[in-house]
Amino acid sequence: MAPGRKRRIALRTAVIVAAVALSLTMEISGFLATPEAERDEISYTTLHAAVPLVFAACAGVAWRIGPTRIPSRLMIAVVVLWIPQSIYHVIGDLGWLWPIVRGVDLGWAVVTGVLVLIYPRGWLHGGFERWIAAIALVASLVNLVTVLLFGTPGPETCDCVPNPYQVAEIPMLFSTLDIAYRVIGGLLALLIAGRLLVQWVRGSVPARTVAFLMPLALLAWATTLAAQAASYAAQSTSGEVLETISLIAIASVPVSFVAGISHTRNMRARVADLMRITREGADRGLWAESLARTLRDASVRVYWWDEERGGYFDAAGVPIGPHVDPRGSQSILPVASPLGVPIALIRHDRVLTDNMRLLDGVSSALRLSVDNGRLRSEIERTLEQVRQSRQRIVEAGVDARRRIERDLHDGAQQRLVSLGMSLRLAADRAGELGDPELLTDLEAAIDDLTKGLRELRELAHGIHPSLLSAGGLALAVPELAGRCPVPVAVDVQAEGRLPEIIESTAYFAIAELLANVAKHSGGTRAWVRAHLHDHELELVVRDNGVGGASLDGGSGMLGIDDRIDAVGGRLELESPLGAGTTVTIRIPTAAAAGE
Amino acid sequence: MQETETTPLRVAVADDALLLREGIQKVLEGGGIEVVASVGTGDELLEVVAGGGIDVAVLDIRMPPSFRDEGIVALETLRASGTDIGVLLLSMYATPEYALRVMGAGSGTGYLLKERVSEPQTLVRAVESVAAGGSVVDPEVVEQLVARTRADDPLDRLTERERSVLELMAQGYSNGGIAQTLFLGLKTVETHVRSILQKLDLEESPEHHRRVLAVLTLLGAR
Repeated sequence: MAPGRKRRIALRTAVIVAAVALSLTMEISGFLATPEAERDEISYTTLHAAVPLVFAACAGVAWRIGPTRIPSRLMIAVVVLWIPQSIYHVIGDLGWLWPIVRGVDLGWAVVTGVLVLIYPRGWLHGGFERWIAAIALVASLVNLVTVLLFGTPGPETCDCVPNPYQVAEIPMLFSTLDIAYRVIGGLLALLIAGRLLVQWVRGSVPARTVAFLMPLALLAWATTLAAQAASYAAQSTSGEVLETISLIAIASVPVSFVAGISHTRNMRARVADLMRITREGADRGLWAESLARTLRDASVRVYWWDEERGGYFDAAGVPIGPHVDPRGSQSILPVASPLGVPIALIRHDRVLTDNMRLLDGVSSALRLSVDNGRLRSEIERTLEQVRQSRQRIVEAGVDARRRIERDLHDGAQQRLVSLGMSLRLAADRAGELGDPELLTDLEAAIDDLTKGLRELRELAHGIHPSLLSAGGLALAVPELAGRCPVPVAVDVQAEGRLPEIIESTAYFAIAELLANVAKHSGGTRAWVRAHLHDHELELVVRDNGVGGASLDGGSGMLGIDDRIDAVGGRLELESPLGAGTTVTIRIPTAAAAGE
Repeated sequence: MQETETTPLRVAVADDALLLREGIQKVLEGGGIEVVASVGTGDELLEVVAGGGIDVAVLDIRMPPSFRDEGIVALETLRASGTDIGVLLLSMYATPEYALRVMGAGSGTGYLLKERVSEPQTLVRAVESVAAGGSVVDPEVVEQLVARTRADDPLDRLTERERSVLELMAQGYSNGGIAQTLFLGLKTVETHVRSILQKLDLEESPEHHRRVLAVLTLLGAR
């Protein structure tokens, strides 16, 4: 990218330098070639020579910051087209050349007009502008043809050799068309200036500060142009003062063009600020304020699309008024997401529509803001849903365990106990009836049943200890520790009862951690602590084993972590190799829903 | 223990499972014990006991309404109101914590696994024992407590024989009962008991159930 850019800069510099050199050379040689008596005052000539320099300088700037390349090219064209005015005396002897030069000696004015027309967008965007440009172009072509075919060297411009292209000498037609061309030019210039002026007057205060120079310059220039056309028509020379004002007005056109664009660029820089505010997630009221500041337009209003109410409302909830008159000073910019979902309407000063890039930036910022907000709230909503559903799943698990244990307790276990009793009665009967074989069989069956009952009891206890339901952690944890083959010191200070989901989660976490201690740690002592402080249950399970446990190992630590996470708790694992394992679990007791 | 033969013990049974309630009744009646009331909740049992004429209450621990520890709560309510009838708690699980709570309620209490209904003699003997102010703890509870591993275990100081004696002490056996069960002379058992109490830093208590409680507490707190 860099080499291409360098080459482009070099090329532009060369073009500007060449144009300036050409212009200056011609100006000076034209001045020198003019008979001393006919020369203008030296100050005027200097001013006259300075005008193309101003254009050239502005072209350089416009090339850098312009919205398109057209303005800078037009400015360079003005520099070149400025030359014909001053070189009649140099080329007066070249019959093939001077009529052509004479035919385009107002070309600079046409190009300047077009330059004004494309301000500030850099291209002809409206019907009015295209029409004006087309008329000017046609008029200029007609003028050129007229000069070529009917032009006679006038004594006031040059003492030229006869026109070789002349087909007939009809001075009346030539001078009429010549004057008409100038009058049309003057009128068009006035029209453009008038339109700019009307826009300026209608525009909001900030908009006026943006572009007050341009209509002013144009008006001054158009006035002098019209005056010149009038005096030209009256065959009298215009005054020095008028000429001077005209030159200054012309020179100020590219300057105000560049100034206006540079101002717009500053606004774009402020859009970057807007983007920053957007990224920081400012609320809507603040955003609308920042937008007004960015656009320097206090009348800016942002109306956000409200899906539920099916309309646009500002940050304070006020609905958008009836659609503004499109001929009025305000415009509406609709902003929608790439999928076409409406986001907002921005009501702004019409003059801002001249600066589509700025509005594009604003739209993007807004889209980004809303997208960000939507994404954020969507993620939050989804996350909350996931959190809730995960908690529900865990609760359902706890519920299921309790239900299974109760079903076993009230069903299978009762029946088997009852069966044992029946078998005992049968065995007693067998004893009474003196059937030792049957008695032995029945005794064996009772033994088996007792073993089976014992296994079932262990199973049911493992599924959900009834002690936990009845006595909470304070009873269940010591009992749990008592079952661990590794000696466990227990310290439970959980006064009162906690929500069932928390008790159950804590209990099974401790159960699994103690199972890990027995199976993997190789430790000879373990410690379990359960303390309740500040709406937080803190569990610590520690051993003096080999350490090196990890959350991703096969020790089921990840499963414990998941379940702790599901009730909004955190698990910390500290297990340096050779220095035992300490697992600290903190569960907020207020966060769990329900008892 | 044969002096109860003249007037049979009057028992009230409370269990929410009808099947077991009937089974318990059958077993007790088979053992010469009269079941005068059979109810489904602890509150109903309290009413029956308040009506008088009950020697022993046989209660399920887990009963309506909350299915947690209603039986023990009923026991504690009885003791709080000064009623000193025998109370035998039945449970599907052998939970040392419950056994300690039951013993802690005072003398004439017992804690047995429900499946002991298939051992009529155990159940009948337990009812008779609590009626006489004795203490009964299910062997499985004691087994669990003894199985608990502790670093620096005071039980390590006991001999094998002393351990067997200790387990029976914890189950609520009197010295005579222990002697009978282990086929030892009463003197020998008394010597073992003294040695055990000394080794475990326990004081000889005049009240039988206090000895049970002390032994259970020691086992649980190891």
